[in-house]
Amino acid sequence: MQSAGPGHEHWEDATAAYLLGALDDAERAGFEEHLAGCPACRAEVDELLPAARALPISVDPVEPPPALKARIMADVEREASLLAAAGPEADRPAAPARRRLRLPSLRLAPVAVAAALLLVGAAIGIGVTELRSGPDRTIQAEMESGAGTERANAELEINGDEARLVARGLPAPPSGRVYQVWLKRDGHAPEPTAALFRPSRDGTASASVPGSLEGVDQVMVTDEPDGGSPQPTGDLLLVANLS
Amino acid sequence: MAKDLRDLADEELMQLVRRGQAPAFEVVYERHASAAFSLAYRIVGTRNGAEDVSQEAFLNIWRSGARYDRARGSVRTWVLGIVHHRAIDYLRRATVHDKRRASDEGMDERFEAAERTDVEVARRDEAETVRSAIGTLPTEQSQVIELAYFGGFTHTEIAEMLETPVGTIKGRMRLGLKKMRDQLSGGAVTR
Repeated sequence: MQSAGPGHEHWEDATAAYLLGALDDAERAGFEEHLAGCPACRAEVDELLPAARALPISVDPVEPPPALKARIMADVEREASLLAAAGPEADRPAAPARRRLRLPSLRLAPVAVAAALLLVGAAIGIGVTELRSGPDRTIQAEMESGAGTERANAELEINGDEARLVARGLPAPPSGRVYQVWLKRDGHAPEPTAALFRPSRDGTASASVPGSLEGVDQVMVTDEPDGGSPQPTGDLLLVANLS
Repeated sequence: MAKDLRDLADEELMQLVRRGQAPAFEVVYERHASAAFSLAYRIVGTRNGAEDVSQEAFLNIWRSGARYDRARGSVRTWVLGIVHHRAIDYLRRATVHDKRRASDEGMDERFEAAERTDVEVARRDEAETVRSAIGTLPTEQSQVIELAYFGGFTHTEIAEMLETPVGTIKGRMRLGLKKMRDQLSGGAVTR
């Protein structure tokens, strides 16, 4: 039997509620403070934790849409580029905290450093492309006229073998559909890519353009059913002319 | 993507994620996105909500990889813990308890993940084991666990809803988890 810490009588029946996320914010903070000094409650948390951790495993499987990955990876890759541009300083943990202080929050993740740089850049009016060395080539895309594209604009940024489409003011694709990027070579049907995306609520979007651009005349975007299409079926949203 | 990244254990991938390596994060996403999205969907009840929660959670994981501590459990447990936390936050922010239900979007919006690998099959077996363990609980215990963990309700809200003293609700939660733990003891699902 573990010894009880101060205030144990008040908290002893809160362990399961804590593990189930059923305490409000103030109670949770109070319980965590108590937990730090109460071996009896820590022992009960350890005892019940396997059951609480098993709960999420019990749910029916539901597949996420491919566009979700495209959106997440667009942000991740952008921040990874920033991190790389920030250089080794960003990869160096902050000076270690004094022994026994154990303040993990002082050890900034390098990605957090990149995110902070992004925020600082925005605050002082520096665009993301200026924080890194800037694209080798930027092509202004032509928006197709139609509902919702009046304020939209998009650019294709090309860096060596890599290309990224960056857009602002885009309308959301029709319900159940997603934007898909295509590569068009002269005399060939548009080639599908795995780049599927939906703009954020503010209309911004960023998508890596996979594959080689060698021989590509146009990068196009159409709206397609969730999961993408092998050939274009939806309306054309924009075209970037490379040649 | 380099094949060797896919050969790495989650914990090794997280070391690369901590250093800002996007391809390593992509493998972590591919391994856990389905479980994460399923949990988010179970809690918030709509596909759009589940997408928002999953996106927030994975970007948080990418940006806070340094906070993963392997001594406190597997990467999967850590990921699902973050998703759960974000999903409950989403519910409480939106106060959509009364309108969130999977039926909002119809059953046609729910579709099962394809069984692709032995890992998927093993996970389905694990899910069945956990569902069986929950199924052995008295209804009054499984009900409060469901309302708290998947419904995002606090013990006070549950007590009001069921017109039952708060102390009784907390006791049911505790007894239910203890019984589940006993049912699952020896299983591999609770790492």
